[in-house]
Amino acid sequence: MPEIFRRNRLPNIAIAIVLWALLPTLVSRHVVDLLIFAGVYTIAGLGVSYLLGHCGIVNLAQSVFYGIGAYCVAYFSAQHGLPGVVAFVAGGLLSATIAFAFGWPILRLSGHFLALATLALGVIGQVLFLEWDWLTGGTLGIGGIPKLNLFGWELNTPQRFYYLVWPVAILVMWLKYNLTHSRNGLAIRAMRDAPDAAAVAGVDIRPLKVRMFVLSAVLGSLAGSLFAHYVGFISVDSFGIDRSISFLLLAVLGGVHTTWGPALGALFVTLVPEILSRFGEIHAVLFAVTLVIAVIFLPQGLGGAIEQWLRRYPVR
Amino acid sequence: MSETLLTLNDIHHSFRGLRVLKGVSLAVPRGAFVGLIGPNGAGKSTLFNIASGFLRPDAGTVLLDSAEIMRCSVQERSRRGLVRTFQTPQMFGAMTVLENLMVGRHKQTRSSVVGNLFRSPRSIQEFRATEQTADAMLKRFGLERVARHKAADLPAGLQRMLELARAYIGEPRLLLLDEPSSGLNGDEIAQLKLRLNELNGEGITILLVSHDMNLIDAATIIHVLCFGEIIASGSMASLRDDARVREAYLGV
Repeated sequence: MPEIFRRNRLPNIAIAIVLWALLPTLVSRHVVDLLIFAGVYTIAGLGVSYLLGHCGIVNLAQSVFYGIGAYCVAYFSAQHGLPGVVAFVAGGLLSATIAFAFGWPILRLSGHFLALATLALGVIGQVLFLEWDWLTGGTLGIGGIPKLNLFGWELNTPQRFYYLVWPVAILVMWLKYNLTHSRNGLAIRAMRDAPDAAAVAGVDIRPLKVRMFVLSAVLGSLAGSLFAHYVGFISVDSFGIDRSISFLLLAVLGGVHTTWGPALGALFVTLVPEILSRFGEIHAVLFAVTLVIAVIFLPQGLGGAIEQWLRRYPVR
Repeated sequence: MSETLLTLNDIHHSFRGLRVLKGVSLAVPRGAFVGLIGPNGAGKSTLFNIASGFLRPDAGTVLLDSAEIMRCSVQERSRRGLVRTFQTPQMFGAMTVLENLMVGRHKQTRSSVVGNLFRSPRSIQEFRATEQTADAMLKRFGLERVARHKAADLPAGLQRMLELARAYIGEPRLLLLDEPSSGLNGDEIAQLKLRLNELNGEGITILLVSHDMNLIDAATIIHVLCFGEIIASGSMASLRDDARVREAYLGV
């Protein structure tokens, strides 16, 4: 962690919390919406980012797990009126099972082949979400998803949801940080850099990769469940390959080697198009140009660039 | 307990019809320092890959402590004490030297992914203990100054030392070293030789593949592998007098 944070840890954290808490009262409803989506994408993107940066796995299937989390909410909470927690747990378990069943055979692959295999899973998911309309509502979607109720606290305003989603995102970042600085976190990076040497050190490569894939899938599902509760209506359009690509994009933009990079990446992909939309029709092109510039000039991502900058100007 | 730690028994292997190993048998006695030499393409690396579990031979058996280990994975063999290094150093390049050493302790530690995620007491305690063990190892292998450097940035000599230290920290009983002196200068080779003798003195059995006559000198028994067959075995001195060895390898 950069010096500047270590030295002024407590005051910095206090300031950050106050700013974070005040933010939704200062900005428009629409911006709160975007901030919530950024939080949701951060959670899903953290899984993708960890796989990419630490395991060397390009995951283009995150939209499937994101969809499973969302459809579980639609199915269990909206259609069967079960408590919210049931859908969250069911989504997590189903995603974990599918990630395990699919990950076990494909994670013997690596590099481009593995990326293509995850892309295949993403495509299968997209097609099934569309075709199984008896379950998913297809393009018509499923509406009437109830607001989340947390121990009697109804999350019926954007502000309230904001106060749920970001702590969850930060909790996930904390978990990622813990894993990175642990026995298995080291083993994971080792097998990315030199799999043969990691094997000699006793690292069981495929089981560990599968566990990480499952973990990432559970995060995708968690994010999808939160998304469904927030928007109240879901349709197949939200769970296509483009969603997977945007998760991958935010991971790369944010920087895959920093714990909080995905949050920056998620804020970027939600807020920047919004700012650019003021320029009218050209905004999509401008966003693409911004992306290219960011990737060229910030190879370590936004998070990496900021960490580098902080290291250069330590507080003495 | 048998006196032989590693036994390679009548190993045959071919790549696309090219017979690389033609019935190689080799015994490494417990506590010994055994050398293996041979011209390029003699099959040394193939033999190493078979012993360490990266390759299944077409025929033949591998025994560790008289127990057959043919079905054991690389990891399982490592847990049983058989640890190898590679001809080109396999660094965990983006990780620091200290972290490289910590990975070397992977099989001595047990904490689970879930424990790691939630910072279980065991996970934290184990991580600190590993860090301390690795820290102690730095000094011993002359790596303390580069502890926080990325392994990929180290010069060849230090990478070789790191690879050896990483193998040693995992408490091996048998070290298979594949050309550990390639890329090293004279001083570094002397250092390496000193270390290897030290490790052997601690009771670690060593099987060393090397082209380097200065280094292979440290071995007490040397086998000469030539076109997939062991053509001679003995001390360095006796091999120098062996006509077949001179012709095949020493070239004098």
